[in-house]
Amino acid sequence: MRDSEPRVAGLASRLFSIWYRHMRVYTRNLISNGLPPFLEPVIFLLGVGLGLGRYIASMDGVPYLVFLATALPVTSAMFTSAYECTFGTFVRLEFQKSYDGMIAAPVTVADLFVGEVLWAGTKGLFFSACVVIVMAAFGALPLPMGVVAVPIGFLTGAMFGALSLLVTSFVKNINHFNFYFTGFLSPMFFFSGTVFPLNSLPRAIRPLAELMPLTHAIRLTRDPTLARFSGVLLADLAFLVLVTIVAAHLAIRRLRRRIVV
Amino acid sequence: MSGPVIIFDNVHKSYRGVKAVDGISFDVPPSICFGLLGRNGAGKSTILRILYRKAERDSTPSSTVSVFGFDPERDELAIKCRSGVVPQEDNLDEELDVTQNLLVFAKLYGMPRPQAEARIAELLDFMELGEKHRANIRELSGGMKRRLVIVRALLNQPRLLILDEPTTGLDPQVRHSIWEKLRQLKRGGLTIMLTTHYMDEAFQLCDDVLIVEKGQAVLRGNPKALVEQHIERYVLELTEMTQAQQVLAQLSLSDARVERSDESLRIYAGDYGGLQRLSDQLAPGEHHLRPCTLEDVFLKATGRRLDARQ
Repeated sequence: MRDSEPRVAGLASRLFSIWYRHMRVYTRNLISNGLPPFLEPVIFLLGVGLGLGRYIASMDGVPYLVFLATALPVTSAMFTSAYECTFGTFVRLEFQKSYDGMIAAPVTVADLFVGEVLWAGTKGLFFSACVVIVMAAFGALPLPMGVVAVPIGFLTGAMFGALSLLVTSFVKNINHFNFYFTGFLSPMFFFSGTVFPLNSLPRAIRPLAELMPLTHAIRLTRDPTLARFSGVLLADLAFLVLVTIVAAHLAIRRLRRRIVV
Repeated sequence: MSGPVIIFDNVHKSYRGVKAVDGISFDVPPSICFGLLGRNGAGKSTILRILYRKAERDSTPSSTVSVFGFDPERDELAIKCRSGVVPQEDNLDEELDVTQNLLVFAKLYGMPRPQAEARIAELLDFMELGEKHRANIRELSGGMKRRLVIVRALLNQPRLLILDEPTTGLDPQVRHSIWEKLRQLKRGGLTIMLTTHYMDEAFQLCDDVLIVEKGQAVLRGNPKALVEQHIERYVLELTEMTQAQQVLAQLSLSDARVERSDESLRIYAGDYGGLQRLSDQLAPGEHHLRPCTLEDVFLKATGRRLDARQ
């Protein structure tokens, strides 16, 4: 028996400990987890540079490669955090029962998933940083402003982490995530300004594109990088933060019922 | 701390209309081992989960749960930092090795790294897992995993250890070794609360047991006292019915109690000599005269028939 009264760790320390768990698991396979985020943009550059780039010289007033390079860091953040908080979370929830173990320690269900959203943000940050490094090395991303993609990558990762947790809270069968990926994320990749500007969309569809979370993340990266500043960016930032908070809140409420029975 | 560690008063818990816990009350004084006995689905695990808010009790106004004076629904963290939990499933992180699993939990408990490392080394030695400190979880045997989960539960020097079926599925050597460790911990002042359906385990470890049936408390007491007070001292068991009629015809003991099913006959009595004479007259075969155990008390209290939840 201990001599002193045990103390409950503070919120920051509890969130950090959840984050630390994910970081330990992720960094356990450094090569297989750390190499693809660099390889992917390299492959993309080769494909676009050698092929597509010859047919499309410029887009929205900038070289096409630059246009793409100002969106790819955050789309990369989106996909990695979406995988983490769908398949990853589901496996921890249903197969490995990791949360059942962790919840016996002095952490709450809310801690578990806020920590997880922060981790999704961290992965987003890491993945966007990888893309930024590769794109900048090939001269496709204007510096220093292109670095803005890194913090926006964090926000994008956190937002899609929270949204994906909310999706996971509804999913009982792991195969159902296919609907989310092919029905939501893939279309979003194409209709959020990644490969062509939104103003080339029909006027009737444009408000729909503004509802896509990715649209705001891309604008927050591309516009400052290309030295285009406007008040819209503040609205984009507010959108990211708000969606993250609301989605995380709902996800925690729903996931709580799957863990505390 | 002199009052009870755990107070459970008139607690209810239903799952979609099914009562898993139906008005249970008990308390657990410090530094004892308290056992919950019951068949599968009797509500044992639910009771444990309510203690650390892995489950929430129904909001019946008259019901109270208190662990170290804290209500799990208001102060779950205060309870959890004083308790260690060994859940029914070994939910270890298979993506991490033995030491990393423990370091992650030390972090969850807010332990500084050097203190965590010292504690991990000490506990791995205590549970005889010292050589496995760098092993992958998949390389461990069932008994090692179980011991590792116990180490994990002891990291924060808890005052209460909650174990849900600590030795189910383990071989006798491992079971006895775990029992010895738990006894050692109890002598050190730890309060232990466990569930089991092994009556020998309850008899070996528990100072106090509560038999639970369909979410209700059926019988409570010290295992040895229960055997002395709630069952005859001996039983003659016939597991083949060919000689049953002969036995029943010759049965002349005054205090004998007969229990029969299609496949077996049991005669309970306090008079060993009488049962001995009865058994001597039987042809050699499927019959056996033995002292009654906690298992006999349990079966008498809860019935032999299977129920829908099993």
